[in-house]
Amino acid sequence: MRLSTALIVALSVASFAPAQTTTSSTTGAATDANPNVRHVIGLDAVKHNATGKLTVEDGALAFKTGKAADKVPVSSINDVFIGTETTQAGGKKGRAVKTAAIAAPYESGRALTILMRTKVDILTVSYHDPEGALHGAIFALPIGQAEQVRAQLIQAGAHAAPIEK
Amino acid sequence: MVNSRATFVFLTSFSLLSACALLSAQTAAKPKLSASAIQIAMVEAGDVQIPAEFRFAVYERLVERVRESGAFQKVYRTGDHAADGVPDLVTLHTTVERFKEGSETVRGLTTVLGATSVDITASVTSRDGKELISHKITGRVRFFGENLGVTNDLAKRITKLVSASYTH
Repeated sequence: MRLSTALIVALSVASFAPAQTTTSSTTGAATDANPNVRHVIGLDAVKHNATGKLTVEDGALAFKTGKAADKVPVSSINDVFIGTETTQAGGKKGRAVKTAAIAAPYESGRALTILMRTKVDILTVSYHDPEGALHGAIFALPIGQAEQVRAQLIQAGAHAAPIEK
Repeated sequence: MVNSRATFVFLTSFSLLSACALLSAQTAAKPKLSASAIQIAMVEAGDVQIPAEFRFAVYERLVERVRESGAFQKVYRTGDHAADGVPDLVTLHTTVERFKEGSETVRGLTTVLGATSVDITASVTSRDGKELISHKITGRVRFFGENLGVTNDLAKRITKLVSASYTH
């Protein structure tokens, strides 16, 4: 009985997984043209974890959400770093689903941890404001896109040390 | 015999009470340090391998949290020229001693394994370089959340230490 319940839960989760993977890959394709980026921390005018568009235009790194926007002049950037992070897929909804899954029987909700994780690029932009104060803006981008943004920033004139490998 | 026993009990109780009173008086009398402004220095990593995003996230969260704490009238970032003329400026230094990157997946699956932890030394110095406070602090992310969450825990602990020691 216990085994069959666990099996049912595992199968339901597994059937949910391909649909989710398809959705995220579709989103990934769309983000190439119009990146969906999460602002982790560092921009004064934008809330933490707000999602928006990150672009390099008119000599500035611009981040725009539906409600707020902020810009960092490329000339003030003194370094750009790239890293990776494993995070929760599905944003706030994903987090809610995962929290609700804790109540699933026989700890089968833990299976969601494997299915709902996603790897992201972390882009860290170090810059100075007009007063000389150091700031660090951190963004989470779909995997593989941070290098593109870094290249765009360097092309636009930002200073960046070579990536250590 | 009874009298000497009573005297012994009385003397012992009296000394114990006096010791307690002295101890609490010492604790209460410990004065808070005072400074109108603090400058948050960038997190130093030394030889410790720690991704840049962790260092910058700790720095940014520290600036935010120390501002929110209200322990200082002004909070300056490193390099801010506006801090040059502040006479009683103190500087908060954070040095990473150890960094252990865990795994969000392992944390989610096992609950007890996969923790990310960062050990740091937080110190506050005066303008002339005199060390006013120095403490070792560990930040951790144990259960849910991405590894970068450790920076929030660390900033919270450092801010608690600084705001408990200072008044403006």
